[in-house]
Amino acid sequence: TTRGTTTDTDGKYSISAASGTTLVFSFIGFQSQEVVVGSQSVINVSLKNDVSQLQEVVVTALGQERKRNELVYAAQQINNEQIVQARNPNVMNSLAGKIAGLDIKTNNNLGGSTSAVIRGYKSITGNNQALWVIDGVPVTNANNNSSDQQTGRSGTDYGNAASDINPDNIASVNVLKGAAATALYGSRAANGVILVTTKQGRKNSFDVTVNSGVTWGKIDKSTYVKYQKEYGAGYGGDGSANKFYRGNLGSGEGDIAIFDADASYGAKFDPNRMVYQWDALDPSSPTYGQMTPWVAAKNGPDAFFQTAVTSNQSVSILGGGENTTFKAGFTRSDEKGVLPNSKLGKNLFNFSASFDLTKKLTISANANYSQVKGVGRYGTGYDGKNPNQQFRQWFQTNVDILEQKAAYFRNRQDVTWNWGDPRAPFDQNGPIYSENPYFSRYENFSNDSRDNFFGYAAAVYKIAPWVDLTTRFAYNGTQDMQEERIAFGSADPAQYKRFNRGFNETNLDVIFNFRKAITKDINFSGLAGGSMRRSTENSIRAQTNGGMVVPGLYSLSNSANPIEAPVETYRRIGVDGLYAQASFGYKDLVNLDLTARQDKSTTLSKDNNTYFYPAIGANFNISNLNALKSLGWLTMAKLSANYAEVGNDAPWGSTIDVYDKPTGIGNVPYFTLRNTKNNPDLKPERTKSYEFGLESAFLNDRVGFNFTYYRSSTLDQILPVSITAATGYAFRYVNSGEVQNKGIEISAYVTPIRVQDFSWTVNVNFARNRNKVISLYGEGETEVTNVTIASLQGGVSINAAKGQPFGIIRGTNFVYHEGTGQKVVKANGIYAATSSSAEIIGNPNPDWIGGVSNTLKYKTLSLSFLLDIRHGGDVWSLDQWYGEGTGLYPITAGLNELGNPKRSPVSEGGGVLFPGVQADGSPNTVRAANVDGNGATAYGYPGNPPRAMYIYDASYVKLREVALTYALPQAIVSKLRAFKQIDVSLIGRNLWILHKNMEFQDPEEGLGSGLLNGAGGYQSGAYPAVRNYGFNVKFRF
Amino acid sequence: CVDSLDEYNVDTKRPSTAPPVTLFSNALKGLADTLTSPNVNVNNYRLYVQHWTTTTYLDEPRYNVTARIIPESFWRGLYKGVISDLNESRRLVNADEFISQETKDVQLAQIEVVEVLTWAALVNTFGNIPYSESMNPENPLPKYDDAKTVYDAILARLDAALPKLQSKGTPFSDGDLLYKGNMAQWVKFGNSLKLKLAMIIADSDPAKAKTMVAEAAPNVFTSNADNAAFPYISTPPNYNVIAQNLNPLYTSRQDFVASETIVNPMNELNDPRRAQFFTPVGGKYVGGKYGMLNTYADFSHVSDLIIEPDFEGLLLDYSEVEFLLAEAVERGFIAGNAANHYNKAVTASIVYWTSQDPDTEVASQGSARAAAYLAQPKVAYATAKGNWKEKIGFQKWLALYNRGWESWVEWRRLDFPKLSPPSGGNVPAGLAIPVRMIYPIVEQTLNGSNRAAAADAIGGDELTTKLWWDKF
Repeated sequence: TTRGTTTDTDGKYSISAASGTTLVFSFIGFQSQEVVVGSQSVINVSLKNDVSQLQEVVVTALGQERKRNELVYAAQQINNEQIVQARNPNVMNSLAGKIAGLDIKTNNNLGGSTSAVIRGYKSITGNNQALWVIDGVPVTNANNNSSDQQTGRSGTDYGNAASDINPDNIASVNVLKGAAATALYGSRAANGVILVTTKQGRKNSFDVTVNSGVTWGKIDKSTYVKYQKEYGAGYGGDGSANKFYRGNLGSGEGDIAIFDADASYGAKFDPNRMVYQWDALDPSSPTYGQMTPWVAAKNGPDAFFQTAVTSNQSVSILGGGENTTFKAGFTRSDEKGVLPNSKLGKNLFNFSASFDLTKKLTISANANYSQVKGVGRYGTGYDGKNPNQQFRQWFQTNVDILEQKAAYFRNRQDVTWNWGDPRAPFDQNGPIYSENPYFSRYENFSNDSRDNFFGYAAAVYKIAPWVDLTTRFAYNGTQDMQEERIAFGSADPAQYKRFNRGFNETNLDVIFNFRKAITKDINFSGLAGGSMRRSTENSIRAQTNGGMVVPGLYSLSNSANPIEAPVETYRRIGVDGLYAQASFGYKDLVNLDLTARQDKSTTLSKDNNTYFYPAIGANFNISNLNALKSLGWLTMAKLSANYAEVGNDAPWGSTIDVYDKPTGIGNVPYFTLRNTKNNPDLKPERTKSYEFGLESAFLNDRVGFNFTYYRSSTLDQILPVSITAATGYAFRYVNSGEVQNKGIEISAYVTPIRVQDFSWTVNVNFARNRNKVISLYGEGETEVTNVTIASLQGGVSINAAKGQPFGIIRGTNFVYHEGTGQKVVKANGIYAATSSSAEIIGNPNPDWIGGVSNTLKYKTLSLSFLLDIRHGGDVWSLDQWYGEGTGLYPITAGLNELGNPKRSPVSEGGGVLFPGVQADGSPNTVRAANVDGNGATAYGYPGNPPRAMYIYDASYVKLREVALTYALPQAIVSKLRAFKQIDVSLIGRNLWILHKNMEFQDPEEGLGSGLLNGAGGYQSGAYPAVRNYGFNVKFRF
Repeated sequence: CVDSLDEYNVDTKRPSTAPPVTLFSNALKGLADTLTSPNVNVNNYRLYVQHWTTTTYLDEPRYNVTARIIPESFWRGLYKGVISDLNESRRLVNADEFISQETKDVQLAQIEVVEVLTWAALVNTFGNIPYSESMNPENPLPKYDDAKTVYDAILARLDAALPKLQSKGTPFSDGDLLYKGNMAQWVKFGNSLKLKLAMIIADSDPAKAKTMVAEAAPNVFTSNADNAAFPYISTPPNYNVIAQNLNPLYTSRQDFVASETIVNPMNELNDPRRAQFFTPVGGKYVGGKYGMLNTYADFSHVSDLIIEPDFEGLLLDYSEVEFLLAEAVERGFIAGNAANHYNKAVTASIVYWTSQDPDTEVASQGSARAAAYLAQPKVAYATAKGNWKEKIGFQKWLALYNRGWESWVEWRRLDFPKLSPPSGGNVPAGLAIPVRMIYPIVEQTLNGSNRAAAADAIGGDELTTKLWWDKF
């Protein structure tokens, strides 16, 4: 037993052994098998699953490998196959529905940021995003989008760095959910850790994998607007007088469509009626100066969205020699989005190597470089650069989008449907509110690049058989560049903006690892170490001022007026930590973990900058009790419990007050107090949590489940709370408040069928989190019971309120009649709204989330599909609030309960009768007028109805991923000498929304991973979901 | 280790100290911006007094103030944008060990006058407001003080500051964007402000008003050269907020046209200011119907003069001072001839506006035009329609064109001209012109119980709740 070898990934091995020698074949999770060598040169062995041990190895905090039965906390690991099966170019999105308690919110934006939150929102105003740790290198998932972007006002979502991880490079992802699991990572891990372990080469092997695939994407029309087809441009006016302008635009005096109205409350369509429309002003149009029939558009805005194409090619090489291992990988992906002129290109490089310098000393290094270039990323929120602002909110149903396309491409000018002056000629006219959407995409586009490097160099020295020393220096650096432009001829003055940002972080860890059997029955393992983190963020943001001089020249020097001083930031953070962990195991029966860490952070004042936090956990492997070992049906059962605290420091720059310097007037300078009052007395915030778990497997591991109950409280939160401007500030940093999260997570699997050539496995994840704000700040009469996180367009706000779940939506509610309990309708037939805008009208937190994945295998054919489910949670839609008010949606037209057109005057039997009662409690008989877009509108914003009317249930059931993979039979592959394996897959993502309650939206659509997605609950200019389908071919050499 | 990293949490791009005058200058800009702004999110008072009306979006002329954060923008613009910086400027002046007490006195007096004006704007807009517990971030829930109490307090502060304006120290000068440190003009400004604030309580507290008016009247503005005006420049972001919202250089929006409510009577009186107030349509001045849909191209717009980026922003002017003096005579607060002050007021307004005309010949004709205008029986003080309130109220309403907020205060106080809310057609029934602005919606969530108490105290947080001085 002195000689050893390892197999390659196919299990091939070679070893020279004299006959008569005993070979021991072992593999983690399998029963060892011994074979005595005879004269044969090939010995094939198939190992049996060692299910009774279930000693799967998982990678835990600081890269420690632990057997699953040693764990005292919940951790759920998935492997490469589960991540890449649907070939999602964004790793974060490919985790959706696969991990219990990990709430992934993807969005439909090209390369947009994805929110990843574990076990609920803990921080009221801070970051709630899980920390990504890739081979020991922490990578933040924060995004750098503007606060306007994050609150749905306007801006571009440039995505977040965690989305640049190469999926093909990943060996496994382990999600560490609770504080006990993450305590060793220190403060930043308070929101949980997504631990990514990349593939490593094996000694004495060589393996090449090539993946090549293409997917196509089309918008899911069930998530987009359906327009009424009865009425066209206009706000209506008083009666019918103003339904058209009059004038002569070429072929005589005639009706002119109300070009400047961004609404569809105008004249009824009539194919026999000839009207000057927007194209009559365009000299290059075949219909220039002509009237055309007044009809609904043949091609609505859904025709604006094109087929997305994503191609993905990757190569990965794994291998090693006697003393070395190495890995090299390259992935190139090209995404063309559903919006015209949008693309995203990524080059991802990975390299790692290890070398056993001596028997005791191994050095390794890892380098990852990603280069992402985007052109025409989508505008988000209430922004002219978001085409959904016009299409969902402010549009004319008579505008044919393909005619707009032709009009733009004829001269590449802003030939809009929304002229400022209905009678002025083309060259003296321009868009009043909305651009031609093609002009906007092709001329007012943004471009950006993100270069990210991360990697480490490490040395492991085996000091003694029971102790080794790991030293690791990790670096993560990002360079961002973003450019945004507004071309001449746009509704807004020409503009050029640029943003440059550099971020770098170093982490130095020195760790002693111990592992020793203290007695025959008691094992000890542990570690002690320290870490130093230093980060620097350095950015500059500048823009032209009040227009530009030369069209098409996008440079700061082309500003019409001297530019304002760029906004500079220079932020440095240092955190030093000391930590230790001790684990004791007794006979594979009981394990006890003790962890402690102390951090010292520069973001807090000296008196408060050191904080200590402990964790303790234990488990009990019941199934290893002698009494139970004989139970054939019980494969494994483990109980665990833990308690942990995690401290967290303050955001940079929140303890010392400084002034802002607005641009002075002439030679007179200005200074002003900042919006936020800082607080030198901030102390670290704390999360205290405990959890109980039961993990078990039955019937030779055909069935199993993992159940966890957790409860965490985050106390002394560091909040920049909104305060009344009467205090002289808009925000103030305080150290207060408590948010509690409690919930259960269940992950379960069953293999109902496992026969010779066929198997069927089902995995289920379920998580239910209950979130509650226990307290905010102040006491007694001065107690603050509500903190507004964001005040949003449309008159709703997202709040943390005492006794309520985090992120509740406030606004005006329906007024309910005391006697009848019915909704009260005002004298004009529209629902009465409460006078208070502080009513709670929605809770964005889902009741539960879950996923069900099925894998069916027949010989070498496998089919897997994943359902992703969210139940409950509310969202408020600005799109419906405005879009119904401007008469875009079918509900605003058609017939009322009398069979008369809703848009006829009430005096003629039109209008809308809302169910409810009048102020005196009698049934409502007043039909709300629905004849114009200015108050006499039954729906949407003009009638100022209760905001609660536009709250929707965001539940969904989505067919998230489907993959049908066929592995070419070995008989064929072996004939193609170069190959070891060829897999062909057909894949689909987001193919079908089986269930949802929002009629025209994707309920999952949000605003990225920023503040608001932290809270959820708001849609503004929502993008439709995109169905992706395609294929992938995988070759192994 | 981090002990050696003390500078890590220091912002190296922003100062932790600044000259006090710079905060004073910024406060002046904040004040001018908030009061001058025509942005529908901030300041809709030009609509409420029917100087302007809108083209397509009728929420604001129909008094919907909850669709946007209108009350909040105005509130925040003054509390955070002005008073907060004045407060800090005061703290820095007081903390400066290297300047004399006299210099402190004069600078603090400048700060005080501007702050009093700002508090008056708040209290005359909302009624009860946080005052005694305001400006303290340690207290996130400041109570609202009774409006009259606040008003009396700021009048006392103004009285205390006026003599110190004449202190021998070195005033803010370059950073004094109103008068460049000319303290004689500051004295006039302070007294004109006192006259104006005193007159606001003429109906509710005539005795006090009388005393204060009599004290102030001898030292008020004597010509347009004394006007308190913020000198906007032609480049953003220090350009006039009107240009930002209306000038085609900076926006494609066409939201506003002149309202027929003001254009028609001006046409009738052949008012010489029309050319400076409005653009002509086919050689005539045509106003849109207030609160209804109006086609931009069909009606007179705001004049090119007013939407110039460097058009100055008036905070207090000579014309309104003369109107106040005319009123003070009528009320018996001071001796004198009301018609004389009325004539000076109308003349000052016409001279001010004509003098801005780019045509130099027109610009020089102000006095002559004013004389001709005043000679008309419908304008002449003796023969114009109505009682003194109506005569003064009507002409003051014209003179305060482009100063919507000021005009709204005077309209509420004088109750003339008679304005009617839009009605008929599809206009929602029961509209009423606001006589008060509701508290910011966010106060319901930020400072809920104090806001509720204030709402109760003033008789309801409504647009129709009259302020304490609004007796008629």
